[in-house]
Amino acid sequence: MNVTRFLIAVSSLLLGLGLIAPTLTIYPQAGDLTWIIKIIAPEELAVSTYSILGVIQKLFQTGDIFLAVVLAMFSVFSPVLKLSFYWHATGLKDSKKFNSILQRIHYVGKFSMAEVFALALIIVVIKSFPGGSTAELEWGAYIFTFSVICSMLVSFRLDSKKR
Amino acid sequence: MTDISDFDAPKPPAWFGAAIPLLIVLLGAGFYWFITTDKDNGESEDTSNSKINLSGRLSPGQTYYIFASEVEVYPTNLKNESWDQGKKGPDIRYRLFWKGNAVFESITKDDSLIADWSGLSIELNWKDLLGKSVSSDDAIKAGRIRFEEGEKIEIAVEDVDIASDDDVGRHEIEMDKLSIGKNEFKLKKTASSAIRKITLRVLPVGSNIEDLANIMK
Repeated sequence: MNVTRFLIAVSSLLLGLGLIAPTLTIYPQAGDLTWIIKIIAPEELAVSTYSILGVIQKLFQTGDIFLAVVLAMFSVFSPVLKLSFYWHATGLKDSKKFNSILQRIHYVGKFSMAEVFALALIIVVIKSFPGGSTAELEWGAYIFTFSVICSMLVSFRLDSKKR
Repeated sequence: MTDISDFDAPKPPAWFGAAIPLLIVLLGAGFYWFITTDKDNGESEDTSNSKINLSGRLSPGQTYYIFASEVEVYPTNLKNESWDQGKKGPDIRYRLFWKGNAVFESITKDDSLIADWSGLSIELNWKDLLGKSVSSDDAIKAGRIRFEEGEKIEIAVEDVDIASDDDVGRHEIEMDKLSIGKNEFKLKKTASSAIRKITLRVLPVGSNIEDLANIMK
């Protein structure tokens, strides 16, 4: 197996882990009244940890179909499709087909990484909540980022082979 | 006999290899799911062993919050007369004794034959709203008593009067008979006790406030 395909395999493996591993933990707080909420309605202050797939599932369950579909497209289908195109491109010997695939990859690639933006947005929004609620990135987010970095390395390697 | 060589074998379509990344993604996700499912089961077993017991008998060496959530007294006092000369009901207060010392004294419940205490004392003052934090120790109004086998506690109930407090009665309880949560004791009237019923609540110290609130319900 050549280096490019090895990087695609690593990126795919990390993507699989990153989609299902804990990505975001939310610590709800109710400011000065936190202690009384803990007694009266402790479930309201339960700490929640989500994976990317968990967030998509939650969005589906709460009826936010549009958001769920957008997030699924950008964080699941688009990266998988991109990696599939990469794998296919590495096996091509015809330069015309190779360049055509690279163009498609760049098109699909524009829709990836949107989930990183979504995570950043969630954290910013939660940190601005009153009551001291906080959100923290979990290790799944870093795994996902490494998958994206591997995928970028693959992209650079294929670009350098452009004929 | 026909011999099919590699050259003759049908080749998979070019896009077939494109499914490999998808399979690896599924493999990665499946692997994580597999190891965490196993790990979760293991962890839940571990935590159940180390967790503070929230039901059943008391554990030796463990400290507990103990308070009376309800005390009912007979309609007449030790002299078989109406309480407070029949003008009002008794003003009931109780004290918990452990090893000969009063370890807790309740607030007084005025004019009641059945007095009740929540065990949680949360007074919403302005200073609370302005950021004072209240711990479970502050919020729980109960005696802290460590359980040892053969240990006894005593509850002394009084009718609080301006002139002098009158004894309603005392009751000794063997801690071996207590269990976590609600404990009821129905008593007969005697020459030295007019207590009809005592409901004691036992809560383990060190459990979180959510568990304590559930036990108190």
